[in-house]
Amino acid sequence: MIQLKSLLKVIDNSGALLVECINVLGGARHASLGDEIVCVVKKARPLNVETGPSTAQAAVSKLKKGDVARALVVRTRKEVRRLDGSYVRFDDNAVVMLNKQGQPLGNRVLGAVANECRQKRWTKIISMAPKVV
Amino acid sequence: MKIELCNFSGFKIYPGHGKVFVKGDSRTYRFINGKCESYFMQRLKPSKLDWTVVFRRLHKKGITEEVSKKRTRRTVKAQRAVVGASLEAIKAKRAQKPEVRAAQRQQALRQAKEKKQADEQKKKVEKAKSSSTRAAQPKPKFSKQQVKGAAPKVKATSR
Repeated sequence: MIQLKSLLKVIDNSGALLVECINVLGGARHASLGDEIVCVVKKARPLNVETGPSTAQAAVSKLKKGDVARALVVRTRKEVRRLDGSYVRFDDNAVVMLNKQGQPLGNRVLGAVANECRQKRWTKIISMAPKVV
Repeated sequence: MKIELCNFSGFKIYPGHGKVFVKGDSRTYRFINGKCESYFMQRLKPSKLDWTVVFRRLHKKGITEEVSKKRTRRTVKAQRAVVGASLEAIKAKRAQKPEVRAAQRQQALRQAKEKKQADEQKKKVEKAKSSSTRAAQPKPKFSKQQVKGAAPKVKATSR
C-alpha cells in the first residue's frame, strides 16, 4: 500500500538510499508489488570527493538528493494475496530505481524481491535479485 | 502438491493456507494462521506453549504409542517335515558328524565312477561289433560326375 508521502528503502546501487513516493503510475490508488511509482530522493549515498576522472562518469548516473525518478515496488509491508490463496508479507517497503524507459538505473539488487514482479514482466530485475520470494 | 510446515507451531500447511513472512535478512517464515504469526511477532517461544509440536516433543507427549508400534516382528526358526523328508530323517541328517558325511559322499562318488567306467566299456564293445560288420561290406566307388553322364577324367600320362 504505497501512496503519496510513503517512504521507501532503495535496494539497488543507483545511489539513492531513501525515497518518497510522489505519484502512483497506472491510475491506481495504492501501489503494490510490481507496480511503478514516481518518487523523489530524500537521502542519497554521499558522493566520494576524491573521485578520479575515471569514476566521474559513473557518478553522473548516480542519484542525488532531490532527484525525481521512477521506481518499482519490490517489497511491501502490506500482505499480498497469491493465486493459491496464501499470503506473502515483507518486513519493509522497498523499491528498485528505474529510468523513464523502465530500465533499472543500478546494476545490482540487494535483498529479497517478490515473485509478483515476474508476473508483471519485470524479469530483468528478478534476474538481478539474489533471492526471489 | 507441496505441504509446508508452520515455523511456529509445526503444523502442516496445505496449499492456499497460511502466510509467508520475509524478514529483513531475507529469511522466510511460514505460519498456519494469525495466532501463530501474532505470537511470533510477540517473540513468544513455541517451546513454552503446550499446544505446539516443539513443546510436545520436548515433553515427550504422545510418543509412547509410537514406540510400541515401531517394534518389528522377528522370524522364528522351526524344524518341519518337508515333501520328501520326514522330521526324523532331517534330524538324523543334522545329527551326523561331518566325517561320516564326507565318507558317504566319497563312497557315492566312487560308485558313480565305477558305473560310468562299466558303461563306457559296454559301449566300446558294441561299437566295435557294429564297425566290424560295416567294414565287411564296403560301398562301391562311383564318381558322381560319371553317373550324371559326363566323360570320365583322363589320367595324365606325361607332364
